[in-house]
Amino acid sequence: MGFLLLFPLAVAVILAIVRNGAARRVIVYAGAAVIAVASIVFVGMHIGSTGEYYEFESEIVNIVCTVADFVIAFIVAFLAWRYKKWMALTLAIVQAALAAVFVAGGWEAMYPVAEGLYIDSLTLMMAAIIGVVGSGIGVYALGYMDDHHDAHPAIKDRRPRFFGLFFLFLSAMFLIVFSNNMIWMFTGWEITTVCSFLLIGYDQNQISVTNAFRQIVMNMLGGISFCCALIYCGVELQTFSFIEFINIGVAAPLMVTVPLVCLSLSGITKAAQMPFHTWLLGAMVAPTPTSALLHSSTMVKAGVFVLLKMAPIYAVSFIPSLMVVLIGGITFCLCSFLAISQSNAKRVLAYSTIANLGLIVACAGVGTPEAVWAGMFLILFHAVAKSLLFMCVGTAEHHIGSRDIESMDGLFQTMPRLARYMMLGIMIMFIAPFGMLIAKWGTLVSFLEAPTPHVVLILLLAFGSGATFLFWAKWLGKLSGIAGNPDDVETTVHSSEWIGTSLMVVLCVICCVAMPFISDIIVRPYIEGVWGQYFTVLGSDNLWIASICTIFVVAVLFGALGRTSNKKHVGVYMAGISYDNDQRKFRNSMSGVTTASSRNWYMETLFGEQAIDPMGTVICIGIIVAAFIIGILSWQGVMIPGIPGLM
Amino acid sequence: MNAIITNPIFLVVVGTIGFAICAPIVGCLLAGLERKISARMQGRVGPSILQPYYDVRKLIEKDDVSVNGADGIYVSCALIFTFLAGGIFYSGQNLLLCIFIITLAVLFFIIAAYSTRSPYAEIGAHRETMQVMAYEPMVLLMAVGFYMATGTFNVGGVFFLNTPMALPLIGILIGLVFILTIKLRKSPFDLSYSHHAHQEIVKGITTEMSGKTLAQVEIMHWCETVLFLGWTGMFFVWGGPAFLLVGIVAALVIWFFEIWIDNNFARVKWKSMLKWAWLVALIAGGLNIVVLAFI
Amino acid sequence: MPFASKSPWVIHYDASSCNGCDIEVLAALCPGYDVERFGIINTGNPKHADIFLVTGSVNERNIKVVQEIYNQMLEPKVVIACGVCACTGGIFHDCYNVIGGVDKAIPVDVYAPGCAVRPEAIIDAVVQGIGILDEKSKALNAKKKGA
Repeated sequence: MGFLLLFPLAVAVILAIVRNGAARRVIVYAGAAVIAVASIVFVGMHIGSTGEYYEFESEIVNIVCTVADFVIAFIVAFLAWRYKKWMALTLAIVQAALAAVFVAGGWEAMYPVAEGLYIDSLTLMMAAIIGVVGSGIGVYALGYMDDHHDAHPAIKDRRPRFFGLFFLFLSAMFLIVFSNNMIWMFTGWEITTVCSFLLIGYDQNQISVTNAFRQIVMNMLGGISFCCALIYCGVELQTFSFIEFINIGVAAPLMVTVPLVCLSLSGITKAAQMPFHTWLLGAMVAPTPTSALLHSSTMVKAGVFVLLKMAPIYAVSFIPSLMVVLIGGITFCLCSFLAISQSNAKRVLAYSTIANLGLIVACAGVGTPEAVWAGMFLILFHAVAKSLLFMCVGTAEHHIGSRDIESMDGLFQTMPRLARYMMLGIMIMFIAPFGMLIAKWGTLVSFLEAPTPHVVLILLLAFGSGATFLFWAKWLGKLSGIAGNPDDVETTVHSSEWIGTSLMVVLCVICCVAMPFISDIIVRPYIEGVWGQYFTVLGSDNLWIASICTIFVVAVLFGALGRTSNKKHVGVYMAGISYDNDQRKFRNSMSGVTTASSRNWYMETLFGEQAIDPMGTVICIGIIVAAFIIGILSWQGVMIPGIPGLM
Repeated sequence: MNAIITNPIFLVVVGTIGFAICAPIVGCLLAGLERKISARMQGRVGPSILQPYYDVRKLIEKDDVSVNGADGIYVSCALIFTFLAGGIFYSGQNLLLCIFIITLAVLFFIIAAYSTRSPYAEIGAHRETMQVMAYEPMVLLMAVGFYMATGTFNVGGVFFLNTPMALPLIGILIGLVFILTIKLRKSPFDLSYSHHAHQEIVKGITTEMSGKTLAQVEIMHWCETVLFLGWTGMFFVWGGPAFLLVGIVAALVIWFFEIWIDNNFARVKWKSMLKWAWLVALIAGGLNIVVLAFI
Repeated sequence: MPFASKSPWVIHYDASSCNGCDIEVLAALCPGYDVERFGIINTGNPKHADIFLVTGSVNERNIKVVQEIYNQMLEPKVVIACGVCACTGGIFHDCYNVIGGVDKAIPVDVYAPGCAVRPEAIIDAVVQGIGILDEKSKALNAKKKGA
C-alpha cells in the first residue's frame, strides 16, 4: 500500500525533472506498468476483504499534509493574483485561514487517529481503477501529447509538468481511498483539485485559464466545506477517523447532520453536480488524457466515493439524504436532456459523466445496500467505458481534425478499429446487456426496494433514461455509416494510443462478461462488511444472461462486421439521378450537383442549455441552501415539525 | 434434473426457442388478420389472412443485394434479440430484462438504418430514435408498477395475484396502451416506418433494406406484436394459468382498439408525439405510482 | 413454389406522361379497386418493388431516372409500359427531346397501349406481368441453387 502511495510520487518527481522525450517515454511506460501490476497484485492479495484497518500514525505525515494544504492554498492564491482572479484569491485566503484555525485548534494532536490507513472492497475497486485505468491513460497520453503539440505549435511545451502532475495525481488518489484519517484524505482531496486546476490551464490561453479558475473556485468551495466539516469533527465529535465518523453518524444521525451536509457539499462539487456542473464542462478544454483520467474516471469519482462510503449515514439521516438524492436525481435527468443538444463529442461525454455521477450520488443518498451495490457498479463501468470513450475521441480529433460528432460520419471505415472501440464504449454506456445499463437496472430496483420507494427519483430516472438513449444512439448511428471505400486514416495513430485504448477495451469486456464474479468477489464483501449481510439485487441468473449476450454482441462488433460481404452492392436511393452515390451527391433539377446531407437532431429549443441549465442551477442551489439551514437549525436544537429526524 | 428444469437460464433458453417458433406463426396470422380488419373498416375485402406470409416468402426469394453488407447483420442481431426478449417474457422471467433486451433489438435496427448512410433511411432512424425516447419512460414505469403490484419483477408473479393488475395499475395500463401505438407502429405515431405508403417518406427506416433483410424486419415486427400484446395481456391475468384466457382476450381487445386508432388518425409531427407520450407517462404512469407508493 | 405472384409490390413512375395514364394507374391501385386483395401494394421504394409501372415517354431528362429506378429494383422484376407514350413515344414521338418508348431506356416485359390506358388494359398487363415474374423467380431460384 505504501508502495502504491509513494511510487507514483517518485515517478512524478522524476518526470517533472526529465526534459528528454525519449527518457520520458521509457519512464512513463515503466512507471505505468509497475503501478498497474502493483495495483492488480495488491487487489489480488486482498480480494474479498470486508475491511482491514492498519495501525498507522505518523507525525511526519501529519506535518507533510498540513504543509501541503498551505502550499496548495499559496499556489492558488499566487496564480489568482497573477491572473487577477479575485474570487479565487478570496477563497484561497479563506481556505488558508480555515486551515490556520484548524492548526491553531490543535485538534490533530489531541485526537490522533490510530488506524490511519485501511482497505475494504470499495477501496480495492477504486485502487484497481486508479492503478490500471490511470496507467493506461498515462501511456495513451504519450502519443496524444505528441500530436497535441504538433497540432498546436503555439502552445509552449510543458510536458514534464504535465506528466509530473499526472503521476502526482495518481498518488493523491491512492491517498484519498486508503486514508482513514480524514485530514490526510483532505490533503489528497486538495492535491487532486489543484492538479486538475493546473492541467485544465495547461494550454495557458484565455479560455483554458478562465475554465481553470472556474474549476478552482467551485472546488475550493467544496474544499472549504470539507475543512468546516473537519473543524466540526474536532470541536464536537473529537475524532478524525472516517470509520468512527460513519459509526457515530449511524448511531446518532443528528450529531453529524452539519458535517455530513458539509461533506456532501464537497462531494457534490467534486462530482460536478448541479449547480457546480459548469466546471466539468469547462474542464473539457484540458488535453484529452486529463479529461479521461481526472474528469471522468477517477477524480470526480473521489467525490462519489466519499458519498458512497457515507451511505449508511444517509440511510438514517433524513435531511442530508434528501439533499443528495434530489441533487443527484435532478442532475441525472437534466444533464441527460442537456446532452441531447450538444454536438461537441467532449461536451456530450462531459454531460453524460455528470449525469452518471448524479445517479451514483443518488444511490449514495438512498443509502440502502442495494443502492450501494448499484453505485459501485456504476463507478466501475463508468470509469472503464468513459475513459475509453475520451481516449477514442481524443485520437479521432487528431486524425479527422474535429471533435464534432457530425464530423465522425463514416468513421467506421476511415478509422475502423477506433470506430469499433468507440461503438463498444458507447454501447456499454447505455444499452443492455452491458454493464452501465445493468447497473442502472440495479439502481432502479434499489430505488424501488428502499423502505419508502423514491418515487421522484424513479420518475427522474425513467425520463433521464429515455434521453440517454437518444443522445447515445444518434452518436452511435453517425459512427456506423458505411459508404464507398474511403481511405483508412488510422495508420498514423501512435502505438501508445493503441495500447491505452486497447487496454480499456479489454477491461471493458472483462468487466461486462465477469459481472457475476465481480458482484460476488468485490461488491458482496463490501456490503457484507458494512451491513453484515448481503442482499441480492438482480440475481445471478440475470447477470449471466447479460454476460452471454455481451459476448455475442462483442463478437458481432469485432468479428462479423469485419468480413466483406458477398452480396451484390447497390447504391442508396436518392430519389432521382445519383451523381456520386457514395458521397450522396445527386443531379438536381438544374442539372447541377447537390450533396444530400443530414444532421442529427439536437432539439435546441426543447433541450438547449438556455432552457434547462438555469432551471437546474436554481433548483439545486435552493436545495443546498435549504439543507444547510435546516441542518444548522437542527444542530442548534430547533424543532421543525413535519421533518423526520428533527422531531 | 429438477434443478435444471427450474433453472432460470434453462427456462429462458427453452422460452426463446419456443418463442422463435411460435411467435412468427401467431404474429403472422395477427398481421394478416389486421390487414383484413383494416380493409373491412375501410369497406374493402382485403387480402388473404396469409398475405403477410406470402410477402415474406417472396422477399426471401428475392435477389441478395445490400448497400453495404453490414445492415443485414445488424438486422439479424435485432431479430435474435427480439426472440430472446420474447423468450424471457414468456418463460415468466424478469420483466425489466425483457424491456432492456427489446430496446437492444431496436437499437440494432436503428444502427442498421444509420449504417446505410441513405438520406431517407437516416430520417427514419432519427425518428425511430425519437420514438424510443418518447416511449421508454412509460415502459420503465410499467415495470415499476408491475413490481409494486406483484412484489417481484418476474413475469410469473402475476399467477400469484388475487386480482388482476389492471385494477391497481389502471393509470399505467392507460399509459401503456398509449405508447403501444408507437411501439406497434400505428398511426398517428408511425413516424419511422408506416404501414401506409401515403404518409411515408419513401419507406422510412427500411428504405435501404430489401429481400431477406426486409423479410427479417417483417418477422421481427410480428414477434414484437406478440410480445407487446403479452405485456398488455399480463395486466388481466391472476390466480393461475386458467386465467390466461382472460389475458389473451383482453390483449386482443386492446389490439383491436389499436387498429381502430390506426385507421382513424393521420400521422402527427414528432413534437406532438414526444409531448403527448411524456405527458401521459408523467400523469397516468407517475400518478399511479405515487398513489401506489403512499397508499 | 415461387411466391412472387402472390405478393407483387408495385412502383409507379411518371416519365413524361400528360397525367392521363397516371390517373388511370393510380385509380386502379387505390383502395376503391382494392387491389390489395391480390397482395398488390403500391410502394414508393424501388428496393421493395417487384413490378415497375412506367407512364409517358422517355426523354433526355428522365432517361437516367428511369434507368436508376430499374437498376435499384431487385431481381426478379418486371417492367410494364402503361399507355401508348410509354410503349412507343405516342403523339410525342417526334418532340425535340423525346427519345421514344420506355424500351429505349430499359427492357420492357409487357406493353399496355391506350390513350389513356384503360384500367382493363392495366389489369391485363399486370396479370401477364405476374406470370413473367413467376418465371423469372423460378429462373433465379434455379440459378441460386446452381451457384
